[in-house]
Amino acid sequence: MSVAAPPSTPLIDSIRSRRIRITQLVAVGALVLFLAGAPSVVDSFTLAQILTKALWLGIAAASLIFLSSYGGMISLGQTGIYAVAGFTMANLVHAAGGKHLGWDPLAATAVGIVVATAFGLLCGAIAARSYGIYFLMITLAISVIVFYFFAQVTVLSGYGGIRSVTMPAVIGNPITDPIPLYYTALLASVLVYVGIRYLARTPFGLALQGIRDDPARMQALGYNVPLHRALAFGVGAFIASIAGILSVWYTTQISPGGINVAQTINILVIAVIGGLYRLEGAWIGAIVFSTIDNYSRVWMPNVGDWLGPDRFETVIGVIFLVIVLASPGGLVGIWEGLWGRRRRRRSPEESSGIPTKGAVDDAVDHPAAV
Amino acid sequence: MRARRVQPIHIPKEVNLPRSQRSVGSRRLFASIALLPLLALAACNSSPSNTPTTSSAIKIGILSDCQGDFGSFYNDDLGGALAVLAAHYGGKATGAKPSDGMTGAKIGGKDIQIVGFGCSDSTANKAIEETRRLVEQLGADILIGPLSGDEGIAVANYAKTQPNKTFLNGISGAQDATLKVQAPNFFRFNPDGAQWSSGLGDYAYNKLGWRTAAVIGDDYAFPYTSLAGFIAEFCSIGGSIPNSNRIWPPLGTTDYSSFVTQIPKNIDGLFVGVGGAGLITFLKQYIQLRGALNTKHIMGNTFWPDPQLLKAIGTPMVGAVAASGIAGDASFPQTQAYKQELAIYPATQADAASVFTLGYWSAMTALGQALTSVNGDLSNGQKALQTALASTVVQGPYGKISLDSNRQAVFDNWIVQITPPPSGSNVPGIKTILRVPKVDQTFGGFFSPTTPAPSRTDPTCTKKTPPPWVGNETPVDFSAGNVQY
Repeated sequence: MSVAAPPSTPLIDSIRSRRIRITQLVAVGALVLFLAGAPSVVDSFTLAQILTKALWLGIAAASLIFLSSYGGMISLGQTGIYAVAGFTMANLVHAAGGKHLGWDPLAATAVGIVVATAFGLLCGAIAARSYGIYFLMITLAISVIVFYFFAQVTVLSGYGGIRSVTMPAVIGNPITDPIPLYYTALLASVLVYVGIRYLARTPFGLALQGIRDDPARMQALGYNVPLHRALAFGVGAFIASIAGILSVWYTTQISPGGINVAQTINILVIAVIGGLYRLEGAWIGAIVFSTIDNYSRVWMPNVGDWLGPDRFETVIGVIFLVIVLASPGGLVGIWEGLWGRRRRRRSPEESSGIPTKGAVDDAVDHPAAV
Repeated sequence: MRARRVQPIHIPKEVNLPRSQRSVGSRRLFASIALLPLLALAACNSSPSNTPTTSSAIKIGILSDCQGDFGSFYNDDLGGALAVLAAHYGGKATGAKPSDGMTGAKIGGKDIQIVGFGCSDSTANKAIEETRRLVEQLGADILIGPLSGDEGIAVANYAKTQPNKTFLNGISGAQDATLKVQAPNFFRFNPDGAQWSSGLGDYAYNKLGWRTAAVIGDDYAFPYTSLAGFIAEFCSIGGSIPNSNRIWPPLGTTDYSSFVTQIPKNIDGLFVGVGGAGLITFLKQYIQLRGALNTKHIMGNTFWPDPQLLKAIGTPMVGAVAASGIAGDASFPQTQAYKQELAIYPATQADAASVFTLGYWSAMTALGQALTSVNGDLSNGQKALQTALASTVVQGPYGKISLDSNRQAVFDNWIVQITPPPSGSNVPGIKTILRVPKVDQTFGGFFSPTTPAPSRTDPTCTKKTPPPWVGNETPVDFSAGNVQY
């Protein structure tokens, strides 16, 4: 890799990196402080309906972003996979509807995750040889099949779904006391984030990124490309299944209405709003989504029959369009763009010396050209 | 060498770079992540939930569906509820549509504040989110809603977690919401799906002489409940409907031919619980495959006396009977008064015969009466209001509505018959022929909190003591004008 280091003096370098490190520390510190202390600063409604919801939706979107940013696979199957986890868990415990087998909720959770991951590996094996629009269609079909399966197999769910799902003792009743579920979702989000960042640096993750950039070349190097992609899809399924379990804990029920095509699109919208190629975008997109979902019904003025509190889909659709047109990298992309411009303005020597962000990317995308 | 199958996407991925060569963008990203929740927090703190509730206004939230299968009835639902405030309590509409809001109403000397309208999509998830927004964020003391079955069960369960608030059902009709959930602060002034079918089992067995019947309905909760009402009554008298005679096409079926062929031929009659657009298709295909409708051997549930259906199928339906909570030709003073009350919203008034409008109207009417009787007193966890509601009787447009000990409506159901079109029209009419008195949710003990929820195979067909109204239906003729209210 022959990307040149910035031609700056060691002194400027060290000052700059120290300033960045301080900014970074302050930012991370503020974030940790806020997230850890949220239950005592926000009311229980906001904690549950905005933050907790954003955390589990973020995990679902993270599974999609993991596949798209590291594997080049934009999957619409994540909703179907998390539904399998949720329905498996809900069928195994005491509940109204479904099999209500009366298992221990934690054991049921573990089995739900295992079943959904296995289901994801199977789907991955089917979809792994497809690319682009064909991959998108196969994964969309997975979600649609799962929706109709649970809607029509009434012994497992039916349209009414499974209600009053028994919670693990650590969660309690998330409606009367949302705090345990919030911390659980927060812990799960942190583990997912760290886990994906770690996985991306392992030989498995690096090879996956190689496959994303040039599957033919990786094949020539001796990698089993379909197997690698199928395994990555399985990892994505594992992450999605965590979101599925949390979604059941969040609502204490699961029904096909919550995992339909609209929800599939919602997960994609969250990922795109946040930034389809940055892991952080998953949670940023999710918090924007759940905030708009909730508050647009309060803020939105009535404008004839065109706009009103019932036009959430219109609002989120317009935001989606604007993001796609203005910043394909989502909100994270906008932020990075702003920082990049300011940086270049402040230190002109950088712009002449250091390759721009885009150039770095090009260099990485096409190492042979550098 | 194989050709490349896919164009690589240009993606920023500095994770590939050694740490020293990574751009600083990712680090600055942390700052952006840190800022977002802080911004959200600022937004939350300015939300109404944190403003102190010093005023003595009574805060009401109304929850309905603005999206999904029933979204088109949104303004009919809200209109039914708000029209009561305008007609009796001095409410002034803020705009032409009910969703524009209403101000100025007073009950028992207290201002009525409509804090917001919940906008669900017939899923339990959204109903709960919207309920929580109205109750926890906007601070509603009293919630009216929701609209559909699964939502009702979810909201009734939620009501248990808010014992100091009061919930009045909108028009959701799942049996479990009251029979099983039994939230002490959840009141339902509309019948459940089974109650709407009452009287037909008796009619089929004793008037039409059916002994073995089949049923067909969409494969989800409402038709299960609706058909359960017929099965319970018909079987308790001595009729037979084995599981093999219960046919459940999936919701959204567009071709019913394979389901029509599954209907056994050696039966005395068929009870049809297919709903919505599917019903027109079903009846057309039934006629194609089995010949003209013999209205002595087929009957329908509350979906049948529907103008659109009558227009689409026309005269072949003449003579068929169905059950409905709405006696379309009723001429009580209360029927007229009800239509007058809705005049504030002309579009809602045009849909006065809609069960959706009636359900929300009944809830707000009951609430207004109960609040008046306690002088708007919401202290002590609204206990006075809840006690008053339990004994409130609504003078509905089609009869009185009272509550049983489970806070579930007891009402008079109606058996209607489809009549030949009036001259100059080819759309059949409706004539109410029987009143089914005092229909309660348990069907005289057939359903109880411990019986399984209605499903493909429940209730099982067993002979029991028939419901109390069996044999006590009274013939009515509204055209004669002497029907007792």
